[in-house]
Amino acid sequence: MNDKNIMESHMGTTAIKISARDVQVYYGDNHAIKDVSIDIEDKTVTAFIGPSGCGKSTFLRCLNRMNDTIDICKVTGSIRIDDEDIYDRRVDPVQLRAKVGMVFQKPNPFPKSIYDNVAYGPRIHGLAQNKADLDEIVERALRRGAIWNEVKDRLQSPGTGLSGGQQQRLCIARAVATEPEVLLMDEPCSALDPIATAQVEELIDELRQSFSVVIVTHSMQQAARVSQKTAFFHLGNMVEYGETGQIFTTPQDPRTESYITGRIG
Amino acid sequence: MSTTSLLVIAILILATLGYFLASKRAISTAGGDRRKLHSLPVYYGSNAAMFTAIPALGVLLIWLLAQPMLVERNILSTIPDKLIPEGSSIGLVMSDVRRVADGLEVVVNTGTLSQNETLKLDTEQTDIRALLAGVGAAVGSDVQPEVLEAAQNYRAQTKMGQLWMVLIIVPLALIGFALSVLAAKPTFRARNTVERGILALLVLAASLAILTTIGIVFSMLFESINFFKLHPWTDFFFGGSWAPNFRGDSDLSILPLLWGTIYISIIALIVAVPVGLFAAIYLSEYASPRVRAFAKPLLEILAGIPTIVYGLFALLTVGPALVRVFGRGEEGLLGLEWMSGATAVLTAGLVMGIMLIPFVSSLSDDIINAVPQSLRDGSLGLGATPSETIRQVVLPAALPGIVGAVLLAASRAIGETMIVVLGAGAIAKFSANPLEAMTTITTRIVSQLTGDTDFASPETLVAFALGLTLFVLTLGLNVIALYIVRKYREQYD
Ligand SMILES: Nc1ncnc2c1ncn2[C@@H]1O[C@H](COP(=O)(O)OP(=O)(O)O)[C@@H](O)[C@H]1O
Ligand SMILES: [Mg+2]
Repeated sequence: MNDKNIMESHMGTTAIKISARDVQVYYGDNHAIKDVSIDIEDKTVTAFIGPSGCGKSTFLRCLNRMNDTIDICKVTGSIRIDDEDIYDRRVDPVQLRAKVGMVFQKPNPFPKSIYDNVAYGPRIHGLAQNKADLDEIVERALRRGAIWNEVKDRLQSPGTGLSGGQQQRLCIARAVATEPEVLLMDEPCSALDPIATAQVEELIDELRQSFSVVIVTHSMQQAARVSQKTAFFHLGNMVEYGETGQIFTTPQDPRTESYITGRIG
Repeated sequence: MSTTSLLVIAILILATLGYFLASKRAISTAGGDRRKLHSLPVYYGSNAAMFTAIPALGVLLIWLLAQPMLVERNILSTIPDKLIPEGSSIGLVMSDVRRVADGLEVVVNTGTLSQNETLKLDTEQTDIRALLAGVGAAVGSDVQPEVLEAAQNYRAQTKMGQLWMVLIIVPLALIGFALSVLAAKPTFRARNTVERGILALLVLAASLAILTTIGIVFSMLFESINFFKLHPWTDFFFGGSWAPNFRGDSDLSILPLLWGTIYISIIALIVAVPVGLFAAIYLSEYASPRVRAFAKPLLEILAGIPTIVYGLFALLTVGPALVRVFGRGEEGLLGLEWMSGATAVLTAGLVMGIMLIPFVSSLSDDIINAVPQSLRDGSLGLGATPSETIRQVVLPAALPGIVGAVLLAASRAIGETMIVVLGAGAIAKFSANPLEAMTTITTRIVSQLTGDTDFASPETLVAFALGLTLFVLTLGLNVIALYIVRKYREQYD
């Protein structure tokens, strides 16, 4: 139980936001996540790395119950956010997703105006008293998405007309607009060019001030650049979890080491 | 057996012969070594069969189509104007000529008279009408000498044409046969020629559908032009009433029919669009895979029910049920006297709507499924419920496609015939009351063309003008719909 020890050695200093214990995920007969336990800290960027197909996205989607939308997916174990079991029968997954926002691999702006894209969440959850209020929420979200200056003059033009990098920042702004407490990002830069990637990474670092950010990434450089904590997944197991610097310099598990040095994945 | 069928059989026999001879000859010219041949022996055989049969059969086909037209034109020019009775047309006289000519042919074939005897017939001495009736060929009135003469001419020219046909086609087949058998030598690339022949066959098949459509349009166009020569177009397009009268002087305006058509179609769409759309939303967004696997084919089976069955349903079930609700006075459910007969706009509209439900739902289902899952995930990930997601993200994204589907449904509704024939009634009028019987363009086309029809009167020809208008209308709707649907598809590729 090597990973448990590492995990415990880093607990304590900051508040724990998400705490998962013995999580198993099955897609029909496919056991996609095996026995994963992890504590994710508040106001921290946590990176999930690992070879593709190892279950990073699956585990990420457990954290806002997006897996509920897949019929054959079954999740067991406990996941607590702020000490509340999110798989408890009393928890409404729809409410949960307002609290745990998500940004996807491919930018997916709705075929609506930029303004309506950002206002979508606040409107659904009734966050604005009136139009002026909503305008302010939209502006603040777009500023936090680091895209305000680029779109402030064309808020009414369609979100789908932006460039890929702008679309992704719009999607981040859209997620931020609902005032979530946790932001999940599934390979948010994989469809972006290096400049757009740099912009989004900078943005992630800023978002850390207000949220707990969990980011899945292919790129170990990206994990090293943006995250404070890193978890390495392999074949459905979480092999190793710890300070990013320590994972990259002195990995404890041979599998982590082979992955980082490029021998698996 | 007729000359034509004998000719076809002869050509086919020759082609078969060519097949065997050519493949034999190919092998023997190669000294019995098949490896020296450019192509397999079957190709030499097929090549010979192809060159023997296809040119000959092609010319035969064209000949068979062209000859009657040419002969008829020749005869027409010889018929004097005085032969055409008042209120009739040259077409009617011509059909008499044809009937007499065909009848005389039967007379010869049955052995009643010899070929020479028929040529010497005279209206003064023989009662031609009785003679023809004797062999089962009915002629409308007594045969006038000019008609008999024209008929004799007709027969002579037809005979002559057939003789020439044989004289041209038989050598053609023989030349093809000889050339292709002689060509069966090792160096000849029979495989490539056959390949080209197959290509030509496929191209022909592909163009056939298009050519037929063009042919249909043109035949409708010509008949419509004939109609507009006999009837003022202003009355057709702008008149206010539909009152065909086979003694002439009819009101033939499309407007009351168009009104009925549109009214019924609108009711049908009011039924079909919401129900079909909701069914599609349920199936694509909510239903479990098991329900979907079961319900979707079931809905699509509904689309395969013949419309006449829906028509019976309208006539026997829906119509009487509506009468029970809205009619019958004190005995009715609501005690109303609004509806007297089972045939009504509402009856036809409701049933047509039911018919269109699977059509709309199946198209909308495809379109909703084409909306990328990532948009749904995005919306759900922001804490929207499934129905909020559908209303605010999926449907707006799918809207252009759904509009296209609705237009396609509308064009089907406008062209639908059996349900309105049985369910809508036959009275052409402008009325907003859905409980009254009304009639549509398609039902009037049916009624103008059934029974004893005379293709020279405007009352019959109007059917073609109606058909053409309907064609243009539905074609326009389809073009717009397909344009919208396609444009929408591109958006997500
Ligand atoms: N919707 C799904 N249905 C069935 N199996 C799935 C689904 N999504 C993922 N899986 C399976 O779960 C495993 C983990 O996938 P995923 O979480 O997407 O990996 P990663 O994001 O690390 O590349 C894979 O074996 C994949 O085939
Ligand atoms: Mg993934």
